[in-house]
Amino acid sequence: MTKSTPLPIKMIIYMFLIVGAFVMFFPFIWMVSTSLKTSGAVAAMPPQLIPNPIDFGNFVEVWNKVNFARYTFNSFLIVTLDMIGALLSCSVVAFGLAMFEFKGRATIFIIMLATLMIPGQVTMIPTYFIWKQFGMLNTYSPLIIPSFLAGAFGIFLMHQYIKSLPKELYESAVIDGCSPPGIFARIYLPLCKPALAALGVFTFMGAWNNTLGPLIYLQSKELYTLPLGILYLKSENVNQALLMAGAVITTMPVVAVYLIAQKQFVQGIASTGMKG
Amino acid sequence: MRKQNYWGYIFTLPFVINVVVFLIFPVVFSAYISFTQYDLFNAPKWTGLTNWINMFNKDEFWISMRNVFAFALIFVPLQTLFAFLIAFLLNQALRAKSLFRLMYFMPVVTPWLAGGVVWAWMFNHQYGVINWFLGLFNIDPVHWIDNKSWLVVMASIAIVNVWKGVGQSMIILLAGMQNVPKEVLEAGQIDGASGWKQLTHIVFPIVTPMVYMVVILSTISAFQAFDIFLGLFGGIQAGIPQQSVVPNLVVYRDSFVLFKMGPASAMAWILFFVILVVTLFQRYFEKRWVHYD
Repeated sequence: MTKSTPLPIKMIIYMFLIVGAFVMFFPFIWMVSTSLKTSGAVAAMPPQLIPNPIDFGNFVEVWNKVNFARYTFNSFLIVTLDMIGALLSCSVVAFGLAMFEFKGRATIFIIMLATLMIPGQVTMIPTYFIWKQFGMLNTYSPLIIPSFLAGAFGIFLMHQYIKSLPKELYESAVIDGCSPPGIFARIYLPLCKPALAALGVFTFMGAWNNTLGPLIYLQSKELYTLPLGILYLKSENVNQALLMAGAVITTMPVVAVYLIAQKQFVQGIASTGMKG
Repeated sequence: MRKQNYWGYIFTLPFVINVVVFLIFPVVFSAYISFTQYDLFNAPKWTGLTNWINMFNKDEFWISMRNVFAFALIFVPLQTLFAFLIAFLLNQALRAKSLFRLMYFMPVVTPWLAGGVVWAWMFNHQYGVINWFLGLFNIDPVHWIDNKSWLVVMASIAIVNVWKGVGQSMIILLAGMQNVPKEVLEAGQIDGASGWKQLTHIVFPIVTPMVYMVVILSTISAFQAFDIFLGLFGGIQAGIPQQSVVPNLVVYRDSFVLFKMGPASAMAWILFFVILVVTLFQRYFEKRWVHYD
């Protein structure tokens, strides 16, 4: 069914895809449309697709009064630190697994699989207990420090990539008198850019969209991240237009990252079958 | 592989610390507290099997299990079917392929909470745009996530989940289909295989490992559903009706709202075992339909 597809069938395919794409995209349209409505227009029947009048007041209110400015900053702060942590630690561990033969190496691979299988809710309470013992509840530490300790998914992604690089790189660097950390930092890390980009994008998405972590660990409102901001608006039963303005602010950055880094997203998912 | 063994240990140290602190200790501790009465502040008190027995005696446990099974049974086939269909169509010689792919994938990157509140608004009984649209065809307004029937509620949430996840399954399947050799399809065409025959006899058998992976991943995610419930209903306190509750919500409420860590841990473990059994069950049937050649 490649080039010889008859026209009527092609039309049906296009119809199906266009209707599907519309259904997929409509919630975004509705989110933006509602966020630009005055409180009177929100519940107007029939619903207005293009708001009349267009009102940016909801954004001003959510940004200043409900402090989404602060939540946005907080989200970006956590995400940035998480990305630094994940890129650094995952590539270091993956390099160790790919380059050296040592006792327990095979066990590490089995444990990597196990960490992917043990669900978060089983380890959630003891992990909370640990952070409580460290006196780090209501801080960003529980959300940031773990990313510096290399997650299994990231290691896996980096490991696959490092293994695909020619082995001679390492040998010749050793002959030139380079130490393993030097070889990692000066030769391998720069070569890993494509895999690092993919991991960076996944880490961004995972950290930006994380709800449970911030929900458990952050109590002070000024520490909230954007998803908690939405949950807060929802629990206060605010006007839908205000709620949607919050949703737009929360969605925009991650969609922008996706549009810029589409290739990394798609290749990363296709090659590992997962998201971060 | 090289001689300097100790470098291997140094480089992998971060992950080893991670495993000891955030995996081994939590798993052991969590199993322990499921047999205790524990509120995080006072020392755990051993109560034997009490938490486990109480759990099975509570209606809420059975309701949450019923809901999550129904949810998975609606969501997984629906998502897999749509993902397969879209991937197959996008794999044809079409215009604007990348634009379609972009739009189908966009909900995947959207935060659950943002997607959840929009859908809750669209589902609104009185002012929701979906009921308004149905009204154009003289269909009476539907109660979607606030229906009296739990099955309708689960089906509505499953629809939102398909919207959120279908793009991801589609990308995985599309990658599999792009590996189907062109020669095989052309040979099929010469032999007079119709588009439908090609789909069922050539493409599907070759991508079955991908389909299997997609089914496993979406099943696991269905049983762990949590964020979408927060997005659609608001916080736990805001009141998710008991008939619409799923296991992870119970775990969260028991632990971080009620500080009953014992029952919460027992529930978390049960959910883990359920996911394990379901995954093994799917694995058992895998060889009947998945081809690796």
